Amino acid sequence: MLKDNLQKALASLGLEKVAEGDYAKTGYHLEVTAEPTQMVDVAQAMLDAGCFLESFTAVDMVEAFDLVYHFASFDELCRTAVHVPLGKKKGMYTISQIYPGADWYEREVFDLFGIHFFNHPNLKRLLLPEDADFHPLLKDFGAGQGND
Amino acid sequence: MIELLGLEEKTYTLNLGPQHPSTHGVLRVLLEMDGEFITQAEPVIGYGHRGHEHMAENRNYAQFLPNLGRVDYLHALAYNQCYCMAVEKLLGLTVPERGEYIRVITNELNRISSHLLWFGAYLLDLGAFTPIMYCFDDREHILDLLDRITGSRLTYCFYRFGGVPMDIDDDFVAGCRAFAKRLRSRWSDYDNLVTKNVIFINRARDVGLITRDQCVKYGITGPTLRGSGISYDLRKSEPYSAYPEFNFEIPIGTRGDIFDRYLVRLAEMEQSLRIIEQACDKLPNGPIMAEKVPKRIKPAVGEVYQGVETARGEFGMYVVSQGDVKPYRIKLRTPSFANLSLFPELAVDTLVADLVAILGSIDVVIPEIDR
Amino acid sequence: METKTGEPLIHLGVLEEALNLARANSLWPMTFGLACCAIEMMAVGMARFDLARFGAEVFRPSPRQCDLMIVAGTISKKMAPAVVRLYEQMPAPKWVIAMGNCAISGGPFYYPTQYAIVPGADLIMPVDVYVPGCPPRPETLIEGILLLEEKITKRGRLRKFRDAKG
Repeated sequence: MLKDNLQKALASLGLEKVAEGDYAKTGYHLEVTAEPTQMVDVAQAMLDAGCFLESFTAVDMVEAFDLVYHFASFDELCRTAVHVPLGKKKGMYTISQIYPGADWYEREVFDLFGIHFFNHPNLKRLLLPEDADFHPLLKDFGAGQGND
Repeated sequence: MIELLGLEEKTYTLNLGPQHPSTHGVLRVLLEMDGEFITQAEPVIGYGHRGHEHMAENRNYAQFLPNLGRVDYLHALAYNQCYCMAVEKLLGLTVPERGEYIRVITNELNRISSHLLWFGAYLLDLGAFTPIMYCFDDREHILDLLDRITGSRLTYCFYRFGGVPMDIDDDFVAGCRAFAKRLRSRWSDYDNLVTKNVIFINRARDVGLITRDQCVKYGITGPTLRGSGISYDLRKSEPYSAYPEFNFEIPIGTRGDIFDRYLVRLAEMEQSLRIIEQACDKLPNGPIMAEKVPKRIKPAVGEVYQGVETARGEFGMYVVSQGDVKPYRIKLRTPSFANLSLFPELAVDTLVADLVAILGSIDVVIPEIDR
Repeated sequence: METKTGEPLIHLGVLEEALNLARANSLWPMTFGLACCAIEMMAVGMARFDLARFGAEVFRPSPRQCDLMIVAGTISKKMAPAVVRLYEQMPAPKWVIAMGNCAISGGPFYYPTQYAIVPGADLIMPVDVYVPGCPPRPETLIEGILLLEEKITKRGRLRKFRDAKG
């Protein structure tokens, strides 16, 4: 069973939390919490198990960011959500050397939240114009930056 | 000879887009070319960025519903469905059976219209002017059917939290059956015009090969994935709505080239017709909306990830709720975003004409990449 | 940004009426779909709604060969310089139809903290006809083109059979 294999592989990495998710309520089978420094190992473990990176995004929780990685598999239904709390003003390690698809997701998070990714091959803005000077999905982005 | 003269070979930069007839929207591709061959292709996106995710944080749950139709306007009903299902999960609502059947029928009709448009527009890119006329004609019949009950032709906003607002009548069901009969009579036309066309075969066979490894590393989903032989379709892998009740197959390709992706999409249209006919046969009576839908949508604190299978791949919504009338964060995981990120790798060492063919076969819709 | 499309230097009298009739009945639009409205623009050119009967089905990709720009879709701030450049590349006489609510006033995407779009094509270029809808039905776009023909020829097509005044 993919879920058990994943649970075993992730448990050996010494993460903060590796638990079963409530699929009917949240849509995940596994919920994992990891430190920023451990994310590269987690990504390698997911790739070795054959999972693909479904989505990567960030949520601005005001005191800190919550980076959320979603993984799934083509062969067996097992959705994994990995939460990585990241302090404001901190950078994150890229996983684009393991999952090249993460390249654009990380650029988008940089564009919309301003989170910097170390060793990213091409960390430029993706959606906003190159010369934009704001990050729109931060919670303190509001009036004054809008349309005239 | 070139070295003797002391000249050096340089690459030539060519800009494709953002206004271009074959880029399916406002996509810009920066090409570095060595003669006719491409050494590097970098897509520049963001020309259609309208700030959907920011709007989600400034709108309440019901006000965000029309936005979904504009994210991918060609298969808008699937996007509506994903959002409604995500919020229904947060609220704990169950959609009644007739509501689910109506959702499936309209969703599959929309899927056929999206594939028909892809078919026509793709062949227009390759230089064939006739198929698009036929496809749009077929598509107009679908749009007539959907217009009767949803009220719109393109950017639908038809599903509500808990079900659907309007019921379908016998005329609609009869129209669906007549349309299925009509479209089936067209398959031989499309076959003779396109599938057996030697120009198309030469342009599509063994061009734009996608391997399984690339699919895993980039998160490719949809017909782009199934053309490479991987049978992953959320309607069967993670069944939702009323799909478990129907008999249908997931067509897959063998080689992963453009021709296989094209055949997969054609076969998917036939499978959608099968689903529609079965749904029309088995349509149950009953209510179309859940019983206790709250007037103010205020889900409990929590988060949910919901995925659906759209014409382009897997669309997922990650909704974070903090108990307010407005969502705290909504992330739209769109299939074209992941599929297009593979494009630079596919474009190396191809000719410009092949580049256009590969880009079209991935079937991207730019507003859903830029959101 | 100002463009001058005012009075011509030389007036050609009756010949101008004939020229205007020719211009109006063979408008060449540019393939310039930005978002959802582009699909309805494509549907107008197809068999059911058939823009060819009004002479306007020749969609040219290059702005140098067009005289009509149908702005179909939302103009994002990143795209706005490209749109203006395309407009300037079109040779005069040229006309602009703002198709859809987004091109008229920002449409469903206009709200106080919107950071990404230009709320209306007429903020960056002169617009001749506004075609409302989200997206407008193809018949609405045809009505917009007929209105533009009226504007060009000052006479209109089959005016005595239509309710339009002016």
